[in-house]
Amino acid sequence: MKRCKLLIGALALGATGIVAGGAMAQDPIRIGVITDKVGPARPYAEPITEGVVYGAEELNRRGGVLGRKIELLIEDDQGRPDISAAMARKLVDAGAAFILSLSLTQATQQQQTVTMETRTPQLTPSNSGDTLTTQIANPFFWQTGPLGSTQIATLLSYARAKNLKRVALISDNSDLGQLLAKFFRAGLEKSGIQVAIEEVVPRGATTAEPQLQKIRAANPDAMFMAGVLTPENVLILKAYRQFGLKFPIHSSYNLSVPQYSTVAKGLLDGITFVDAYDPAKPEVKAFVEAYEKAKGKTPYNLHGYGYDGIRLVADAIGRAGSTDKEAVRAAMQATNFAGVMGAQGMKYRFPDGKRTGFDPEGMVVRVYEGDRQGRVVHVGTR
Amino acid sequence: MRDLLELAVSASATGCVYALLALAYLVMIRPTGIINFAVGEWAMVGAFGAFLAVTKVELPYPVGVAAVLACMFVVGWATERIAVRPLVRAGAPLLAPILALLGMLVVFRESVALAFGPDPYPVPYPLGFGRLELGPLAGSYQSFFIIGTTLATFALAWLFFERTLAGKCFAAVAIDRRAAALVGIDRTRVAALSFAAGAVIAALAGLLVGPNVSAHYLMGVPLAIQGFTALVIGGVGRVEGALLGGLLLAFAEQLTARYAPLPPGYAQGVPLALLMLFLLVRPTGLLAERGARA
Repeated sequence: MKRCKLLIGALALGATGIVAGGAMAQDPIRIGVITDKVGPARPYAEPITEGVVYGAEELNRRGGVLGRKIELLIEDDQGRPDISAAMARKLVDAGAAFILSLSLTQATQQQQTVTMETRTPQLTPSNSGDTLTTQIANPFFWQTGPLGSTQIATLLSYARAKNLKRVALISDNSDLGQLLAKFFRAGLEKSGIQVAIEEVVPRGATTAEPQLQKIRAANPDAMFMAGVLTPENVLILKAYRQFGLKFPIHSSYNLSVPQYSTVAKGLLDGITFVDAYDPAKPEVKAFVEAYEKAKGKTPYNLHGYGYDGIRLVADAIGRAGSTDKEAVRAAMQATNFAGVMGAQGMKYRFPDGKRTGFDPEGMVVRVYEGDRQGRVVHVGTR
Repeated sequence: MRDLLELAVSASATGCVYALLALAYLVMIRPTGIINFAVGEWAMVGAFGAFLAVTKVELPYPVGVAAVLACMFVVGWATERIAVRPLVRAGAPLLAPILALLGMLVVFRESVALAFGPDPYPVPYPLGFGRLELGPLAGSYQSFFIIGTTLATFALAWLFFERTLAGKCFAAVAIDRRAAALVGIDRTRVAALSFAAGAVIAALAGLLVGPNVSAHYLMGVPLAIQGFTALVIGGVGRVEGALLGGLLLAFAEQLTARYAPLPPGYAQGVPLALLMLFLLVRPTGLLAERGARA
């Protein structure tokens, strides 16, 4: 009889285990992802999203988080701030424990209206707008993309040694391009460097020669490129080379995307650009090797943003010990995480209640050597 | 003066691209009355075609271009058969095929986006990247190549419409479709050929501008808008109007960007201002139709 009871007990325990195991298998941790599949942010959002997907697959291969698989709920906001908040609401209703925002800065801002109200943790691993954490006091929102102001500060600290007095600033008319140009202008003026001329190449232009003629006439010591649209930036570089201009070019992170090596072949040598990616960093080498093995293609910095983003989320949930939103919020705020992005030794942190986690000293300046993205020539803002 | 002459070459090249797109609109509008905003996407497909044929498959440039244009002839013909003819046969109002073609615009764009992704791709230069100085004029090799190719295309188009029987058939359908049918002109064939020719001309514009702007899936709509603006300025009545409209638009854009004391970025409003001005003041465009003048 005793043996029979033990058997029943064992069966019951087993059954409970099966039920629990089944529940675990059917009850993944849902992470919402808001990306842009068709709109203006798509060239950025797509590789970042690929990095998120790869990161989630890697985490799941290693057993997931808290013994549960990660399930990504991916929504497309088309880069439109007006529908982005609705996507956030949809994800919250679908049970997302965390939302990753990979679309435009303005769209991420709109999503905050939902995440603040529903107290849902939200992270943008890639947006660079300085105002995301200052305009809305949302304790459930964090930003780990390097700020626009950090980019210009890093680039300026590199350029400071060049004794620049008068510079040209050129950008495109995209929202992000204009935002970055604003940061660049403010940073340059704060450093006592005069923006002698500012030009804009509109989206869809077929030449940048009029703009480069004006810049040539202003005879600046250097030209800063704040644009984020690759075709328009290539037009600028073509006009620059065609006119035989010699002043140096310092660019925003846009020139760090690898497509330039093919679409601007022969135009890149000597251009410096700010980046958050150091190919010599051990974490980067490991990431590139693993990604190539899994996906059959080489990732680049934008993939790294997404990869870091999902791992930051998993790290916070893991330390929180549950998906309780308040516990995850507290864990996220206490983040101390070394990722793929950033200079060697950089860690994501949110000290003193700040919600921008990319170390201001963590960006690097690299230089094009021929058509190849070359070595790191400068680190940080000092 | 150096800047002005450089700009003259640059603006002429840009104006030629706009003019080709205006011509693509024109060859379809005249016999059918249908405005096809998908011309910009056809230009995009042409640019991607050049990338595939010349860069990837490494065909010689003339062979690659001929292959792309031949494919685009089929694309244009098929577009008319799929998106236009069924609606016309069903007696749908003129707006229906225009809307269907807007749908085709999305189909072309998204198909390319799915196939190639969001990244830009390099389109080869036929003469390489460099600067050519012809007396006081200076510009890129590509600018001179665009100008030469466009002038040759317009000359051929003019000869076709003015000197060939097939061209006269187009003109006859444009003037009075019912009368043209009564004298034995096959209107549906003319319509199909007009779309095929429109696709070839638009793709040529994409092939020419592609080396400068790279082939990317969002390049079509701005080109479609500039081409349409050029058409409104020049008028839909005559082939020369498309060329004149394109050149005027490009010169206005680039002279404003270079010399007007406007804050950066404001120059991009010039094309829209011109479009509104011409629609208000001279809705028929600068060059009136010959028949209308007589």
